[in-house]
Amino acid sequence: MLESSKHAFWEALIITVAVFALGIFIGIAYENANANKINSFYSSSEISLIDSLALNNVFQSNAVTCDAFINSSIDFADRIYQEAYTLEQYESAGKLTDSLRLAHTRYDLLRTLLWADMMQIPDKCKTNLSTVVYLYQYDTQDLNQKAEQSVWSQTLFDLKQQQGNHIILIPIAVDSNLSSLNSLTNSFNITKYPVVIIDNNYVLYNITSANNLATYLK
Amino acid sequence: MLDFITIVYLVYSFIALYFLFLFIMIYLKNKDKFFTVPKLTKEYSLSIVVPCYNEEESIGGTIEALLNSDYRNLRKIIVVDDCSTDNSYEIIKKYATKYSRVIAVQTPRNSGKASGAKNYGARFVTTELIGFVDADSYPEKHAIRNMIGFFDDPKIAAVTSTVLAKNRYNFIEKLQAIEYKIITFSRKLLGFVDAIYVTPGPLAIYRKKLFDKVGCFDETNMTEDIEITWNFVSHGYKIAMSTLSRVYTVAPDKFKMWYKQRIRWNVGGIQTINKYKSNFMKAGMLGVFILPFFVMSWVIGVVGILFLAYRIIRQAIIYYFSTFYASQAQTAILTLRDINLTPTVLFFFGMALLVLGTAFTLVALSYTKEKGFKKQGIFSFFVYSFVYLLAYPIILVNSAFKYITKTHKW
Repeated sequence: MLESSKHAFWEALIITVAVFALGIFIGIAYENANANKINSFYSSSEISLIDSLALNNVFQSNAVTCDAFINSSIDFADRIYQEAYTLEQYESAGKLTDSLRLAHTRYDLLRTLLWADMMQIPDKCKTNLSTVVYLYQYDTQDLNQKAEQSVWSQTLFDLKQQQGNHIILIPIAVDSNLSSLNSLTNSFNITKYPVVIIDNNYVLYNITSANNLATYLK
Repeated sequence: MLDFITIVYLVYSFIALYFLFLFIMIYLKNKDKFFTVPKLTKEYSLSIVVPCYNEEESIGGTIEALLNSDYRNLRKIIVVDDCSTDNSYEIIKKYATKYSRVIAVQTPRNSGKASGAKNYGARFVTTELIGFVDADSYPEKHAIRNMIGFFDDPKIAAVTSTVLAKNRYNFIEKLQAIEYKIITFSRKLLGFVDAIYVTPGPLAIYRKKLFDKVGCFDETNMTEDIEITWNFVSHGYKIAMSTLSRVYTVAPDKFKMWYKQRIRWNVGGIQTINKYKSNFMKAGMLGVFILPFFVMSWVIGVVGILFLAYRIIRQAIIYYFSTFYASQAQTAILTLRDINLTPTVLFFFGMALLVLGTAFTLVALSYTKEKGFKKQGIFSFFVYSFVYLLAYPIILVNSAFKYITKTHKW
């Protein structure tokens, strides 16, 4: 063997390690960039939520109309629904870091706050707005449950498309270990997930069509 | 924390990148020497043994190709008929009558394997070198002559050649034509680091005294040409490859034959690994490279296909349940919304491997220009790269199964 050829073994190893390390570095930077984008979305959403909570306080003093309050809530719900969808896309593409897992929990918290906020509406406003809360397990390994959740998610998306601003759709992962969320779910005596709660009144465990779900709405 | 699947993908990417870079490095260091052969300083005496079983259609052409060789010290062409049931032996005898260099011999009974006929023919060889040519293979005129100079190095035990596909009519033959060129290119690269692991049957020449020393071909092994190569390397000898020595061989023209051939090659590979396992990580290229390379290829192939099967089955179960729930919900199982175009780091590694792998394949193909053959089409190249190669892990698993259950046949 030629001396120069003999060196090919370790030279290839060095190049591989360098390329591999560069690839991992770029991968981490790319995932962090995605996480930063989500965090930036989150910061805006957080401001919107605080604004919405403030609006709710003002609303209690009758200084704001029901329509203004409801429209603000719908806009906020739709916004975090879209952001959470983007987050899920980034999360499934995230392989090297856990940075988006925390963002997911924070979005779950935002949505729990929104749900709690929405619970106060019916008392004040006679409206045809329905709140559809979808509770699912984020980390499930059960393939049946994964399939069921995937179909639920699609069905609720269809429902939202059908109903537009007549519903507020709030999907929340229940395994985020949020005490506020746990307290809320305990009050419904939920026995299994996924589950859909419509207007804090109907608790639906069995999957059904968007048209059938619409019959539960106001 | 990385999940298990990501770790598996990253390990696979690392290993694949390493071997690609290794081949690229060897290529860059030796590209000027690719087609050089040592000058012929001595014309060693040579006999060629041609094992033949039911090859009436090709044996005449093989003998004529050998008679046409420009190597002057090719003393005997010993054609061994392994008790063919067709007209092969009659044809061989006609050539033997017409040409004094052609010797027709017949085994006492059918050995059932090429190694049996080869060893039988080797008994009649008294020359310094012994060559073997399959009965469906056709060496070019200068092929043998270009191999001889390598034997000036006393450490060289065997010289192998550029094996190319002769028939390229149907699709499976076209794919093999591409494969043979890439194998040839890779084998030459391995030759630069003394890591050639096979001296294929279509044309190989051995130093006779070393051939006898290692005990001829192992007749219990299904790939005697791999086994004898490892045997030489385990004794500290080297194998060379003459890129300028081309031999055209008949590749299987039916999928079933191709599959059977690949199973035989791979079962033979396992037999050889098993025989030489004690050399693992011991000094010498066999222990530190060839054997680990083979074992790693096996492990990667088998684990890869098991992993892929797991992923496919898992996804199929999810689709099964999804179909059930989707029918209840009267909704689509898959929508455009489910398509995630956000790339992952694994995607980038995959793309890097694809680009490097394709570049390597194209360079390999460009190195073996052939006269009288059309260039491979883009469709064949695509199918070879993305379909044909993916069939290999299935062959590996089936071969391992046949080896373990002892159901392999010649």
